[in-house]
Amino acid sequence: MDALTLIQGLRFVDSFFPSGGFAYSSGLEAAVQGGAVRTAEDFSKYVEDLLRHGMGRREAVAVAKAWDAQARGLWREVIAADWELDSMKTGQESRLASRQMGRQVIRIAAEQMGGHPILREFHAAVEAERTPSHLAVSLGLVLAASGWSREDAVAAYLYQTATGMMSAALKLLPIGQREGQRLLDGWMPLIAELSGQAQPESSMTSWSPVQDIYAMRHSRLTSRLFRS
Amino acid sequence: MFEVRSSKLKKASQHEPNCEPRTSNASEFSSVGRVGELVLDYVRRDDRTVLTHSRCCSPWHFSPPIQLDDSPCTYTPLVNPSGGLVGGDRLHVRAALGSETHVLFSTPSANRVYRSLGETALQTVELNVGSGAILEWMPDVTIPFFESRFKQAIHVTLAPGATVLLWDTIASGRVARGERWAFTSLENEIRIMTASGRSVLERYVLAPAAHGIGQMAAWNYVGSLYLIGDGVEAGRWKQIEARLAEILDARPGAVLGGVSEPSAPGLAVKLVAKSAPDLSDTLDELWQAVRVTLWNLPRPALRRY
Repeated sequence: MDALTLIQGLRFVDSFFPSGGFAYSSGLEAAVQGGAVRTAEDFSKYVEDLLRHGMGRREAVAVAKAWDAQARGLWREVIAADWELDSMKTGQESRLASRQMGRQVIRIAAEQMGGHPILREFHAAVEAERTPSHLAVSLGLVLAASGWSREDAVAAYLYQTATGMMSAALKLLPIGQREGQRLLDGWMPLIAELSGQAQPESSMTSWSPVQDIYAMRHSRLTSRLFRS
Repeated sequence: MFEVRSSKLKKASQHEPNCEPRTSNASEFSSVGRVGELVLDYVRRDDRTVLTHSRCCSPWHFSPPIQLDDSPCTYTPLVNPSGGLVGGDRLHVRAALGSETHVLFSTPSANRVYRSLGETALQTVELNVGSGAILEWMPDVTIPFFESRFKQAIHVTLAPGATVLLWDTIASGRVARGERWAFTSLENEIRIMTASGRSVLERYVLAPAAHGIGQMAAWNYVGSLYLIGDGVEAGRWKQIEARLAEILDARPGAVLGGVSEPSAPGLAVKLVAKSAPDLSDTLDELWQAVRVTLWNLPRPALRRY
């Protein structure tokens, strides 16, 4: 990957990008309030399990499918993956958060990378509410258009998910910046492993019932810092 | 609440034991498995739901529908006298519910999946629900034994105005004897498609020995309840959601659950439980709340073994 390719893709996964990700905790706030996550080690296991059994098998595959569709010009596959992901994300807050962040990514990418027909078509479908625009799908399309490899695109998505959870944890738990970096370092091999396993022809699967339950419970918390 | 009282099947259903013999590629284990099919068609006649056609072959046992009360709801027990599935079994259920029918399916006992050193036990369920019809799919828990292999797919297609209440639960194993998450593999797919094209999909693949079980290591039972349909006024979902959330909060430490609105119109409930009584008591309350609120019917007391 050359430097231009790197930074063209990097800005879409950088925390400086205005996707609004800082406002969401993916149910972590409910898990902390519910007592399921109290320590740095609890948190590390919670995220590791979510990556290994949940997002690493569902969203990661959606990224791979979108990347492959962009690379091969398969328009219908993008829409199918987007709707399938929508049907699997049964928690309303998490689903809407993913849609909102994905819309921001595709909106800016379509404006500035108009040479890619699928980006334009996907953006038009999003604006017409013909597809839900999940972050995993938008990011897969955009990173493919940026010239990133499929595996790198999946790794970037999972890394962004992990840092998003970490960002929320720094506000919710007694975890400092150095401790946070130690935990992130511990997740790196797993993210690399999952990125290599996500294939476009795979079925999306997910096994994270406890994390899903806390994501569902978040909307009923009486006091909230985050929107999910 | 009331007991099942009698059969009022108005017309004797055809019972056609016409299943094909198994023709899979032979392996040293394949002779154990059986191919069983249960096919059921229902229509609405006056104020009753009537079974008009059935086909059944071993290991399924045909059990005539039972009229639970004076409502159009008819109860069909799903009876597998062998008590469970062995490796190589291929069990299929197909049911078509005509317009304005109301059918409740359940099982008289848990669905046991026995140890298999070779083939996977497969169960597929295909349910087509006509316009304005109501389907309740409420089987007892699936118990995957030590080193068992199980694959299940439940596909529901809803016509405009149709509603489904679907419950699916698995145990970690034979919990009373300390067997937890010791099965070899378990795949499950639940897909509910509405007339608008919006759907709900749950799909997971488990292999505890190879990949672990994640946060479920602390729990023994997991279940999903889906209440989906476009025939319900949108504002009522929030009312039902609030009631279901109260029920899910009633057993802190023993049950953890959440409820939310999925992509398709309706509600999705996910819950985990420590014990079978906690699971079944919570389910009974959720079921009662849905039935009373949506259909003004009490939860039936079905006989369990």
